[in-house]
Amino acid sequence: MQLHYGWDDFNDIDWMTIIPILLPFVLIAGLLILFALIDLYRNRHRRENVLMWTLIIIFINTIGPILYFILGRKDRRRT
Amino acid sequence: MNTFSVLAKKELSQTIREFKIIWLPLVFMLIGATQPIMMYYLPSILKMLGGLDGITIDPSMTQVSGAEVMASTIDAQFNQLGTIILVVALMGVIQSEKANGMLSFILTRPVSTLSFVWSKVVSQFVFLALCLSVGFLTSYGYAALLFSTVPWGELLLSMLSYFVWLLFVVSFVVMVSTIFNGQGIIALIGIAFLFFCTVTAGLHPILAMFSPAGMSLQSVYLLSTGTFDPKIGWNLLVSVLWIGVTIGVTYFWIAKKKFQK
Repeated sequence: MQLHYGWDDFNDIDWMTIIPILLPFVLIAGLLILFALIDLYRNRHRRENVLMWTLIIIFINTIGPILYFILGRKDRRRT
Repeated sequence: MNTFSVLAKKELSQTIREFKIIWLPLVFMLIGATQPIMMYYLPSILKMLGGLDGITIDPSMTQVSGAEVMASTIDAQFNQLGTIILVVALMGVIQSEKANGMLSFILTRPVSTLSFVWSKVVSQFVFLALCLSVGFLTSYGYAALLFSTVPWGELLLSMLSYFVWLLFVVSFVVMVSTIFNGQGIIALIGIAFLFFCTVTAGLHPILAMFSPAGMSLQSVYLLSTGTFDPKIGWNLLVSVLWIGVTIGVTYFWIAKKKFQK
């Protein structure tokens, strides 16, 4: 199993066959992340743990935005 | 305007306010796209992960058809991750109305309990059926692009029989949401019972006959073999019975507990 790759291997990938297949997939996932981030940003003063949710949305793949939309959209208790 | 359309409109405005109308279709598109892409790249993935021993991929292996890819999409994605997302998206449907007093408010109006429950189930079902159709169509598109085209008739019939199972999922989660008060326990019971149904239905044909998951199994069967299992009528009857029982329990629970003070 090859573990180490150099920059030359990057050019060996046949990009033209991969891009049409993976591009829609990446676009949808990106759109989901974007919506979650926009919603978080617009309500940043009212939400708890804004930084934590930002990291979850960006770094946990596909489940992160879903978790945010279900659990994260709760406002801080008014004092 | 009758009460049903007013209540259905209220449900719609709620899905828009919670952004469900944006993220649920996107999530189902992702789920639908995952399986065909993964199956397409499976040989390369195996080659990468095969280690030093190496794996021989039989070159005379028959090419997977698009319909089989869609069948495995239903089996491996919609029935697992899809069910979890459905339950989690639905768990607050009546529980949140109980929590903020909306339920007792609505029932002080001249609204019959039955039309309340029915409008809940139907509006959520229609919305989720649209989301799932988006997922099915994505999977169909990828299967057609990477494997072979699936006949439209098979696609539509498998979607219809899957929607019977979806209707059961919706009515079951609505029932659990009426009975219990905590969101966590609702999600836990919903996911556990629905997984139990799909797993036992897959174990033995006799269990499948009494399980509401029989219809989701039928749609997998249709896509992988091209025809329905001959027991389809029986499965449909059992599913309709299960749906009737769950809606009935929800109705009596709300009517008996007298949420209107």
